Amino acid sequence: MKKLLNYIGLSGAIVLGMTACHKIDVPVTTQLIPEIFPQNSSQFVQAAGPAYMALRGGYSLEYHFMQSLSTDEGILPARGGNWYDNRNYIDLHFHSWTKDHPFSNSAWVYLSKAIGASNQALSILGKAMPDGNDKVMALAELKMVRAVSYFMFMDLFGNVPLDTVYGDYTARDKTPRTEVFKFIEAEVKGALPGLSNVVSTATYGRATKYTAFALLAKMYLNAEYYTGTPRYNDCVAYCDSVISSGKYSLEPIGTYLQMFYPTNGPSTKEFIFSIPYDPAAGTALNLNGYMYHARYDVPRSETGKFNLPFTPSAPRSTLPEYYANFNDANDVRNKQWLTGLQFMNDGTTPVTVTTTKKGYDQFYTGSDGNAPYTYQVELTPNIVLRQSVPLFDLGNDEIAWNIGYRNIKFYPDATSTSRNQNNDVPMFRYSDIILMKAEAILRGGNATLSQTPLSLVNSLRAVRTTSPALGSVNLDFIYAERCREFAWECWHRNDMIRFGKYEGAWGFKTNNETYRRIFPIPTVATTLNPALTPNPGY
Amino acid sequence: MRLLCRSLPNGAGIHLLLLLLLSPLYMLAQSQEISGTVKDSTGRPMAGISVSIKGKNLVTVSKSDGKFNIPAQTGDVLVFSGIYLEDQEVLIGSKTNLDVTMRTSALTMGDVVVVGYGKSSRKNLTSAITTVKPEDLNRGAISDVGQLLQGKVPGLNITANGDPTKTAAVILRGASTLNSSQSPFYVIDNIPGADISAIAPDDIVSIDVLKDAAATAIYGNRAANGVIMITTKRGRKGPGQVTYSGYVGLEKVSNSLDVMDAGQLSGFLSGNGSSFSPNDDKGANTDWQKEIQRDNAFSHNHNLSFSGGSDHGSYSASINYFKKEGILLGSDLTRIIARLALEQYALNDKVKFSLNVSNSNTNANATPNRNVVLLQSVRYLPVSPVYNANGSYFENLTGTGYFNPLALINHAADNTKYNTLIGNFATQVKLPFGLTYDLSLSYQNNTSLHGEFYDSYYGKNYNTATFYNNPDPPLVHSILNFGSNGSALRNTYQNTNKILETFFTWNRKINDHSINAVLGYSWQENVVGDGFQSSTTNFPVDNVSYNNLALSNPYAIGSYRVNFGDPNIYYKTRLISDFARLNYNYKEKYLLQASVRRDGGSVFGSNDQWGYFPAVGVAWRMMEEDFMKNQNIFSDLKLRASYGVTGNSTGFSAYTAQLISGSLGTFYSNGAQVGAYGPTQAENLNLQWEKTKTANIGLDFTALHGLLSGTIEVYDKKTTGMIYTYDVDPILLPIGGIVANGGSMSNKGIELGLSATPVRTSNFTWTTSVNLAHNKNEITSLTNPLFPGGDSIRYTQPEGGGQTGSTLQIRKSGRPLGQFFTLDYAGKNATGVSQYYNASKGLTVSPAIGADYVYAGSPQPKLLVGWTNTLKYKNFDLNVFFRGVFGNKIFNATRADLFRPADAQRTNILADAAGESPADINAYKYSTRFIESGTYVRLDNATIGYNIDKLGNYVKRIRIYASVNNAFVITNYSGIDPEINQGGMSPGVDANNFYPKTRTFLFGVNVAL
Repeated sequence: MKKLLNYIGLSGAIVLGMTACHKIDVPVTTQLIPEIFPQNSSQFVQAAGPAYMALRGGYSLEYHFMQSLSTDEGILPARGGNWYDNRNYIDLHFHSWTKDHPFSNSAWVYLSKAIGASNQALSILGKAMPDGNDKVMALAELKMVRAVSYFMFMDLFGNVPLDTVYGDYTARDKTPRTEVFKFIEAEVKGALPGLSNVVSTATYGRATKYTAFALLAKMYLNAEYYTGTPRYNDCVAYCDSVISSGKYSLEPIGTYLQMFYPTNGPSTKEFIFSIPYDPAAGTALNLNGYMYHARYDVPRSETGKFNLPFTPSAPRSTLPEYYANFNDANDVRNKQWLTGLQFMNDGTTPVTVTTTKKGYDQFYTGSDGNAPYTYQVELTPNIVLRQSVPLFDLGNDEIAWNIGYRNIKFYPDATSTSRNQNNDVPMFRYSDIILMKAEAILRGGNATLSQTPLSLVNSLRAVRTTSPALGSVNLDFIYAERCREFAWECWHRNDMIRFGKYEGAWGFKTNNETYRRIFPIPTVATTLNPALTPNPGY
Repeated sequence: MRLLCRSLPNGAGIHLLLLLLLSPLYMLAQSQEISGTVKDSTGRPMAGISVSIKGKNLVTVSKSDGKFNIPAQTGDVLVFSGIYLEDQEVLIGSKTNLDVTMRTSALTMGDVVVVGYGKSSRKNLTSAITTVKPEDLNRGAISDVGQLLQGKVPGLNITANGDPTKTAAVILRGASTLNSSQSPFYVIDNIPGADISAIAPDDIVSIDVLKDAAATAIYGNRAANGVIMITTKRGRKGPGQVTYSGYVGLEKVSNSLDVMDAGQLSGFLSGNGSSFSPNDDKGANTDWQKEIQRDNAFSHNHNLSFSGGSDHGSYSASINYFKKEGILLGSDLTRIIARLALEQYALNDKVKFSLNVSNSNTNANATPNRNVVLLQSVRYLPVSPVYNANGSYFENLTGTGYFNPLALINHAADNTKYNTLIGNFATQVKLPFGLTYDLSLSYQNNTSLHGEFYDSYYGKNYNTATFYNNPDPPLVHSILNFGSNGSALRNTYQNTNKILETFFTWNRKINDHSINAVLGYSWQENVVGDGFQSSTTNFPVDNVSYNNLALSNPYAIGSYRVNFGDPNIYYKTRLISDFARLNYNYKEKYLLQASVRRDGGSVFGSNDQWGYFPAVGVAWRMMEEDFMKNQNIFSDLKLRASYGVTGNSTGFSAYTAQLISGSLGTFYSNGAQVGAYGPTQAENLNLQWEKTKTANIGLDFTALHGLLSGTIEVYDKKTTGMIYTYDVDPILLPIGGIVANGGSMSNKGIELGLSATPVRTSNFTWTTSVNLAHNKNEITSLTNPLFPGGDSIRYTQPEGGGQTGSTLQIRKSGRPLGQFFTLDYAGKNATGVSQYYNASKGLTVSPAIGADYVYAGSPQPKLLVGWTNTLKYKNFDLNVFFRGVFGNKIFNATRADLFRPADAQRTNILADAAGESPADINAYKYSTRFIESGTYVRLDNATIGYNIDKLGNYVKRIRIYASVNNAFVITNYSGIDPEINQGGMSPGVDANNFYPKTRTFLFGVNVAL
């Protein structure tokens, strides 16, 4: 019995001892928690990284599609049902998009993410960094990432919600474009003093003072459209801030094309702010950017010519209306296009494809459809809906795949092992400053620094063409010059709207609804933020 | 005379059978002769019933007229037992002539049921628990506990395909969470959360499925999906016994997709003025589905066990070897399980120590890129040969996403080795005043070692930028890259659980009042994902596969990045609980059970780590009422009602509630790619468990002298505060989502289980049991006050060509989980192009994703049926088991993607698409056209066995049997098989990922020595 009591006592003690043990917290020892990251200068750089990754995200994909395929610059028709993709591309061409349009949705998400990542990095570094110059500059640069993202957001969607505080989940309605404009303007001006004036590898891919000037110039050039108030003198002033800094110059004719090659980077003389792409860039959470132009633009028959590690499907081309601007045979910028009969890089060996008669032309009706057929690839300028007009379909044969002139400005990257390319993509280029200033003066701004629109344009043409200098210049010429200079650089929709050409007819498009100058607040946005109201017209 | 009804623990029947067989060895003691007759519940005499005296080695058997004689003394207890019968005990008084009525245990009204932290007799239960005995488990070459139970338990929806390396999806009473964790909580031999792969089916003694909250709430925040208690063999007092059971199985594919053969496809093309490319058409007629399959897949299983015991201890041990080839080339599974269970009494039998150790070692080969292989095997053109003339694999890489499926298998390897060790040391102390103290210490260790290798052929041919994987829905496909000159991936992880559970039990009967009270404490710590992953590329040779990463030279491939795996894989969790349960009954007539568990979990937000999970159940055994004494229809009748709250704390990372940063990739900084680190997870200090409240009403009855018994359950299960990743506007939270509570789901249903013995003669019996379950699942809300983006989320994108952005399902309140949401097919227009209703009910050939979608049926079945028949004739027995699923829909995306008449010169199409015109460029579009009924009835198993009770002096019992699984299926479903996964977020979607279903022929033998 005594033994038994001992047992009771023992087991009771065990129970009590264990019952007292209710410590439930498990310390996190294998993750980056706020207490341990970021704490030092290299960690602060790393913590800013997500904002730059987010900015890289959709710039050359969704954003490019929105700015290019909605204009006469680019078209992406279906080929035998391929690339129809539920009207994703067609709606952009016809200006028939709805709030469910996939690219409107993904462009919205891209820019929201870039803004959100900037807010987040600002919050983290704002708390973690010790006060001082480093902090001022880091926060100023992040505010610029947010500002350029908001600029793109405003350019596409007009009225967007102003969310600037990380961790605040309150739903906000959109803010009118004029207010967004003011917000960006104030943000950029607020950031300016903290930004670096060094233009070098150290600041490449990050915002400098000149990025701020260029963004302000772009805003003021479009201010009349964005806000109803012309600001052409302000545009000229900020262009001058870039010009007189002497930090940039125009690439000579011999290196114009190389400016966009996979090898481009900090040594490029014209890049004021660019988005550095690297196919080897690590990726997670869909924050990586896709620089995929060769996939969309290089005909599959030229996989060998460009030594690509993959077979591109190449559905995208330009429209004859846009290509018509390339009317100067001496212009180096013509070389950014693949047109007509195709030759290998030696210039003489034809690019040939062996198929069948039926494979060459799906509408071939002869009985020898299976007979082999070899031909030299010839790209044709006109977009012909050979298979189906309502489905925007060229067909799925060799003829169809050779339809359309192709842009290879962002030259295919033979060194990549994937579809992703190493070409950095400029957002602001020095030649844009030159043409913006010329345009702003033509639109009523005052000439400064003894530069006239004509002198400015001729200074650019001197390094683009061997044709003689112009004797006069007007807005139409500026428009055409911008088409030549900025093809595939995400500016054409912005230019078309500013020049009043966005409601025109090109290709198969006849829609002229002016409310389509901005895209609808997409479904993905209203689902996540019920406070958002639709944009006018949608 | 006093008649005591008592049930013996499971397995006692075999034990008594042994005693019976050994009876000639025993000497009869001198005492008065007791005689009498054993009858069945209809009054007919029963032969072969063993009669023994409790505590003595004395056994006899009733004769053909039911008569028996046995010498016994006053005070002895006679035990009458027989297979499928409840044991009857009779205390010997003055009477020497006894009539005993045996009752069938068909629906086990008299069994012992394993509940959490104790056992209970079935008749005193107030909760919904279904018990499945080993003889009722599914037969077949099965390694997975889920498949053993398929169709056997009303309310348990189990779906499995033919893949030996995958476990079945198990859902009890409808999904009650949007979380990944839908599977019931498994408790093996009282070890909570134990890994079921550690258990060999032959070692199982019983499986108890705890369904309502009164039963499960004792497992608190892990019990919301139901609890399945598995009990394995234990040694028993008596001479040692050795059993061997083994089988060999042969599997054949039961059905294939009917794609066109070379002749059909050529005919189709020429009929439509089209033709193959000469690059494809090599005059072959290849059946690609056959090429990737084995003609026959063999499996075999061997289980050797021995057990025995003395008065103060027992042992049981077994070893099991299982090998199963998958029907797809490259897939097989080998598993070895060793198990030891020891019990030892001490201190005058007041203390019992027990030690259980089980180790399961598995080697699984999966078909590399399985789902891509399956997709290619139906797309690849039959006119292309498998091999070129020079013996190399035929490929035509100019096509997009077009790869020789056999080359995919044979140029890669995918292997995983698992080891699960479970150890448990338990002490039970009998204390005075009816108190018992239990202490249980458990340790579980799972290790995995995974290797993948894609040889140089992959790098050379498949880095085409169009090599997408084909993940099971709802995952969206992504591009795969296979490095250069071979790429390898290896990972190894270890999970450990340490569990301490301790409780007091007080069992007291005071006059008519019986009380059983349990008070306990549980502490558990889990470490998950302790290990690492690495990958590399650029090998000089292909032969070494993934076994020698050191031979590679990844540095020569500038763009190559090592894949270190999931950054959140390691975590540590702690669960601490206090629990109490009270069972009270008055005269075994009015029964009450109340329990509460206070659970703490480290995985929750710091504001909400502790919660209470109460449950209460009442039952009324009407049988005991006076007014029932005069009827003779029912021999037992019980009405039950219960209500309780359970939770779900699994299915998400342990650090979900905390702000965690991780590596997001790299970005350009000062001339280099620098690592970018930022939040990968948002903070949610208020994250708490999901709560599932279940009300259950049940009726148990036994009628017609035990010839008919049954259970009816009606339940209403409501989950609130569902843990769900809410999409958040990325402008607020760039990672785009936060794990939070909110949203609710409802499951209401009715279950019926019936067992009957329509025929019983001395030579022939037929027992039959049927179970039916109906469940209605509905997501009742998907909102969180802060995060409105939970509702109306379209998902499941199979990404067939030209269908970018098309989704099949929608998460929406008021709709069931998995609700189909797609285009509304409206036949073909005048030019033969498929058209659809648009949002304004007009017709369109270019419908819009989302805007033109309609609700189009639910993948949730309306009725699940299992029907078992056992026929015994002398030494033969025949078991026939049908299983049926009714009223569900399947989205046959596989069929849609093979409806491409316009692409038929490049990819194969279904024979069914022969009537389609190539002009119909919409033919393949996911729409209501491809939603089909998933109703089916399957003859799941038929087994014929022959039993020999004694063979010579050494063999006690032999059973030989032959079995066929999946003998036939009756269905209108046009895919390979209508048994499409019902688990997860994308139930009922057939998306080019179906592992072929097989028909198995099995020959087995069980021997007891």
